[in-house]
Amino acid sequence: MIIKLERLKVRSSKSEEAIDITGRVEEVVQKSGVRNGFVNVLTAHTSSGLLVTEGIPCLEEDILTHFARVFPEDADYHHHRYLDYDGRLGFNAEAHLKSVLGGIQCIFPIENGSIVKGSRQTIYFMEYDGPLERTCFVQVLGEER
Amino acid sequence: MIDFHTHPVLIQELADKYPDYRRMAREVFQIGNNFQPLEVFLLQMDVAGIECAVLLPIDCARVRGLAVSSNEQVAELCARSPRFIGFASVDPLKEGAAQELERAAKSLGLKGLKLDPALQDFPPDHPKAFSVYEAAAALKMPLVIHTGMSWAPGTALEPGHPLKLEKAVRQFPGLNFVFAHFAWPWVWEAVAMALKYPNVYLDTSCLYYDSPREFFQFVFARQIPTTLLERSLRGKLVFGSNYPRVEIKNMVRALRSLSLTEGCLKKILLGNAKMLLGITDDH
Repeated sequence: MIIKLERLKVRSSKSEEAIDITGRVEEVVQKSGVRNGFVNVLTAHTSSGLLVTEGIPCLEEDILTHFARVFPEDADYHHHRYLDYDGRLGFNAEAHLKSVLGGIQCIFPIENGSIVKGSRQTIYFMEYDGPLERTCFVQVLGEER
Repeated sequence: MIDFHTHPVLIQELADKYPDYRRMAREVFQIGNNFQPLEVFLLQMDVAGIECAVLLPIDCARVRGLAVSSNEQVAELCARSPRFIGFASVDPLKEGAAQELERAAKSLGLKGLKLDPALQDFPPDHPKAFSVYEAAAALKMPLVIHTGMSWAPGTALEPGHPLKLEKAVRQFPGLNFVFAHFAWPWVWEAVAMALKYPNVYLDTSCLYYDSPREFFQFVFARQIPTTLLERSLRGKLVFGSNYPRVEIKNMVRALRSLSLTEGCLKKILLGNAKMLLGITDDH
């Protein structure tokens, strides 16, 4: 049995961005030595997310546009106040809510050393409050090759 | 566009290099956000449309144990990117403060002075502070001075009152004072000084509750009329974000949400800062 945890650094360059990390997750799986098992991908940040959808720019844009429609920046949020533990104000409630709505993790089976996923499924790191350098946890679990 | 008020306190490269830097950020500056590569600072500027940022250290080592970034660290960052404009900070109550400022200007190439009477625990009308004001005036360095409320625990409100600076403002007409944070909550006193004294400027880095947009709508549309900025203070305001206490993009957006003309915004976001920094169009 192998249990391996990798921390991927993902750097966003925009306020909001869908970043395809499928290849990087596949690389972690291939290097892990796991033949059959699971891979779990999780963002470490509550103003970002993890999504699986078809990997085409129009959908990336639709997701960001309609999340913004559901959670507009200027809505009335209780989070817009001074957070003494952070030494600053919290005014990114919409980013947190998008993270809650879209989710923060995904899981895929591994078979014969490769991720098993639909041909159109793409793993996205979702930046909702960038640009920032972020961390994704990728944990691979399964029987050894 | 120029951001006249940023603090380089969450730079990953400095955290890796200087043993006390992390403790400074957490215990002295008291910010809980993650350290980020320097490139992220530049990306934050990019998404906000900011070309250059003024980096402000605070020499509060005498009272807080550590300075909030050193002059040398600021100079180091300026050497890494031409988009940074470094200011110096000295402790007015320390022997040789004026000489230290001169060294920072001449040896490190720093362009202005930053003081925070509350965090540095000195009265802004103290005679020793006047020696520093005099040195800054002689060096033609603008002074960004904290006014208004300070969140920092253990600090008093009184040193942040803008009228505490009136004597200095009158005594050093050749020194340009930039009152940080719009001196909130003493907004009208700050406005009166900026209207009355040619050498008093105000920066927009005020945010004490609600979102940046909500706070700006309150201060710059209800607490004082927006027309006051548009008509009478357009030449006396500089944009400042106070990054990383707030992301630059949010403060730019808040400023743009006010009913200001493009001409007025251009002065606040660029022209007035260039004038204070002595930047001419051919640079």
